[in-house]
Amino acid sequence: MDIQSYIASGKLELFLLGELNEREREEVLALASKYPEIQKELDALEETLFSFDQKTGPVPSSKVKDKIFASLEGEFKAAETPKARVTEAKVVSISPWKSFAAAASIVAVLASAAAIFYATKYYEKDQQFTALLQEQSVMADNLNQVKFEYEQKDVLVEKLVSGDFKRVQLKVGGLEIQKDAEVDVFWDKSAQEVFVAVNNLNELSDEYDYQLWAIGSTGPIGIGLVNSGHKLTLQQMNSVSEAGVFAITIEPKGGSQKPTLDKLVVIGDVT
Amino acid sequence: MGFIFNGVTTTKLLLQEEQIIAGLRAKDRKTTEYLYEKYSRALYAVISRIITDQDIAEEVFHDSFIKITRKIDSYEESKGRLYTWMANICRNSAIDKTRSKELSQSAKTNTIDDFVYGLESQSGTMDHVDGIGVKELMNQLNDDQKFIIEYIYFKGYTHSEVSEEFDIPLGTVKSRVRAAIQVLKKNLDKI
Repeated sequence: MDIQSYIASGKLELFLLGELNEREREEVLALASKYPEIQKELDALEETLFSFDQKTGPVPSSKVKDKIFASLEGEFKAAETPKARVTEAKVVSISPWKSFAAAASIVAVLASAAAIFYATKYYEKDQQFTALLQEQSVMADNLNQVKFEYEQKDVLVEKLVSGDFKRVQLKVGGLEIQKDAEVDVFWDKSAQEVFVAVNNLNELSDEYDYQLWAIGSTGPIGIGLVNSGHKLTLQQMNSVSEAGVFAITIEPKGGSQKPTLDKLVVIGDVT
Repeated sequence: MGFIFNGVTTTKLLLQEEQIIAGLRAKDRKTTEYLYEKYSRALYAVISRIITDQDIAEEVFHDSFIKITRKIDSYEESKGRLYTWMANICRNSAIDKTRSKELSQSAKTNTIDDFVYGLESQSGTMDHVDGIGVKELMNQLNDDQKFIIEYIYFKGYTHSEVSEEFDIPLGTVKSRVRAAIQVLKKNLDKI
C-alpha cells in the first residue's frame, strides 16, 4: 500500500470535514490504526484545522456563553448534588401525589354520589321495566287467546257458511220445568255435525248438567253436555248421522247413558 | 467529578481528551467550562465563516454547543478525535441553517472578503481577531486553492457539490483541498 499517495489523495482532509460516507470513514479509521504514518498525518491535519479555526474566528460574545450555561444549569445541578437531587425528587414526587390524592378523593366523592343517584334511577327504571314486561306478557296471552277464539269462530263461520245446516228449534215440552227455555240446534246431516246455541236456559246447581240427546230409530243417544252460561254462542256437540228429534234433559253431573225423561227441558222435531 | 480538579484553577489546567469526555458525560460544570474556554472560539469560527449575521451565528452556536454536551454519550472515541466530531456538528448545523428558508441570502457569507470585512468591522470585542492577519493568510493561497476554501469553508459546500457545480473532477477538488490546507498549515504561525 502506497501510504504517501493515500495521504496525498486528500481523503484525510475530507474525513476531518465530515464529508466521507460511512464505508470511507471506516476505511480511513482502519488504515490509521494500521499505519502510524496515516494516524500521525490525521492528527497533524486536525491540529491545523483546529488552529485555523481558533485563529481566524471572532470570539463569541459573553452573552451567548451565559445563555449556554443557563441552558445547561439544570443538568449541572442534577449531577452536582445527589442530596439535592433526592430532595428535589421528593418534592417532585410528593406534591403531585398530594394534589393527585386530593383530586382523586374529590373525583371519588363525585363518582360515588353519581353512582348512588344512577343506581337508584336504575332500580326504579328496572322495576318499571319489569312491570311493563309483565303487562306485555299478559297482553300477549290475551292476544293469543283472542286470536285462538277468532280462529275457532272463523272455522265455525266457514263451516256454517259452507255446510248444509238445518236449524232445529227446541222448545219447552209438556213438563214445563223451565217455561222460558229456548235452544237452537244446527245439524248438517251429511257432515254429521251438530252445534247448539243457547238462547235461554236457567243456571243449574253444581250437581247437574244439561245433556243433549239425538233420538233416532235406535233410541236416544247422548251427544254432549250443554253449557247454559254460553248464551248466543255455538257449542259443537258429538256427531250424529241419523236423528228425528233433539231434546235436552237435566242429568246428574257428567251426563247419563239414558235420558231422565221426567227432567226433559226442551224438545224439537227435525223437519 | 471533583477528582479531576481537586481545587486546581481550571484555566491553568490542561485536560486530556478522555478526561474532558468523561467530565462531559458526568455533566460536570467545570469540565464544560473548560471545554468552552478551549474550543468555543474555534467552533464559533466554523459557524461564523458560513453565517455572517452575528445573532444568527450565535444562535446556531448556542444550539450546537448544547447539542455537543447532550450528545456526548453517542460520541465514539474510536471514530475520530473530539474536536473533529464537535466541528462537524457545528458545520452541519450552520449548513442546515443556511439551507433553511428563514435565513435570508444576505445573512450568508459569500466570500472570504466578506468574512474578513466582518472581522475587521467587528468592534467591542476585546479579543477580536486580526482581520488583516486572516487576509494575509488567505493571500498565501493561489486562486484555485482560494476558490476551494471559499466554497468549502465559507459557503458550506461539500467537495462533491463543488465538483458538480463547477465541473471540476472530484480528484482535483480533493487534491486542491489538501494543497490549500497545507498552505494554511505552513502560514498559521505567522498570524
